[in-house]
Amino acid sequence: MNFNLSDSKKKLALAGVVCGLVAAALAYFGNPANMAICIACFVRDTAGALGMHQADTVQYARPEIIGIVLGAFAISAATKEYRSTAGSSPMIRFVLGMVIMIGSLVFLGCPLRMVIRMSAGDLNAWVALIGFILGVATGAFALKKGFSLGRAHETQKSSGVVLPAIMVGILLLALCTTLLKSSEAGPGSMHAPIIISLIGGLIFGAFAQKSRMCFAGSIRDVILMKNFDLLTVIVGLFVVMLIYNIATGNFVLGFDTPGIIAHSEHLWNILGMYAVGFAAVLAGGCPLRQLVLAGQGSSDSAVTVLGLFFGAALCHNLGLASSGTALNAETGDVVAGAATPAGKVAVIICIIVCFIIAFTNKRESAK
Amino acid sequence: MRKKELKLVVTFHTTADAMAMEKTCKEKNAPGRLIPVPRAISAGCGLAWCAALEEREAILSVMGEAGIESEALHECMV
Repeated sequence: MNFNLSDSKKKLALAGVVCGLVAAALAYFGNPANMAICIACFVRDTAGALGMHQADTVQYARPEIIGIVLGAFAISAATKEYRSTAGSSPMIRFVLGMVIMIGSLVFLGCPLRMVIRMSAGDLNAWVALIGFILGVATGAFALKKGFSLGRAHETQKSSGVVLPAIMVGILLLALCTTLLKSSEAGPGSMHAPIIISLIGGLIFGAFAQKSRMCFAGSIRDVILMKNFDLLTVIVGLFVVMLIYNIATGNFVLGFDTPGIIAHSEHLWNILGMYAVGFAAVLAGGCPLRQLVLAGQGSSDSAVTVLGLFFGAALCHNLGLASSGTALNAETGDVVAGAATPAGKVAVIICIIVCFIIAFTNKRESAK
Repeated sequence: MRKKELKLVVTFHTTADAMAMEKTCKEKNAPGRLIPVPRAISAGCGLAWCAALEEREAILSVMGEAGIESEALHECMV
């Protein structure tokens, strides 16, 4: 079977369209609107389900995360692209995973959700895009200056299977036991039926693996090579979500939009996504791409995913995550969401850490 | 749309090696350009160096002088 999805821009856009349809379907079947399939949000929810943090409104083992890893694993194994690799500065990648999660939760969404929020008319996400592009550009500048985390090597086949196996374990715990925490109110309580979420994740993971979909990579390729292939995938996804939002009346152009789970502190939206874009280029991919790479055998990416989990737990245990603009149920007033003081300090530290990592890890010549 | 041709594609172990290749080739006026690794070659998302097939020897000698190690050399439609 010819499964080459990337030999033309049309096919790449098609992969984006399929992933957009999955995201729209998940929102339709019960996932929080405009979260749909946000990687940062759903890793955070899964960390909550495992009891890594105690924010009781965001705890739920999201089958989408499990599905994306397993979808990428299955398709890469089936098409002989599974390669178990490891050894490219794993602890630095762990820290980059933490940075990506902290930046995401100060903005309130990963790059995937940023695009989904943009498609719903949320101008805060458009503001954050400025920060994300600047972050990716800074990362690309570091690459030009010789930044490298060193090469990965082939390793024991089983090493690459560990994260997919852990995902299967979480799925079994969710299906067969009552051990995992599950929100009764808030975003964590809103979800599509498990089977739909799982299938959606599997399809998303498989198409993301074939198309190499990556939000950071798409902008990096434009900056470094004026290559628009990866951006085509993202545009496909954006267009589908835009049509879905307009068709369902979810498209509201504006800043203070209760219900979207966003805030309008522009500086912190920009800096949050700046940290995410910067760290994602250094780590070689956005949160979605890390899940997919982990699925196709990269232990380095699996460690980055663990960093995402750890960062999510920190965000809620230490009060780093921002609050979203909401309606006061009693008075009907709009209560503005905001970044927390601790979250602001954390983002600054994250950006400093990115600069240190970017300009202290240099390529070594083979000579 | 640009017609695809059979080209020499050099892949590297790290993105930094690809960036070093670009810098070296610019300095030495060696032929070629940076491209995303063709999907047919790899499921990874790194960068590769693309040049005309007949430039193979020139490219290899530039890499040897600069101490840039390739992962593999491919011939594919780009």
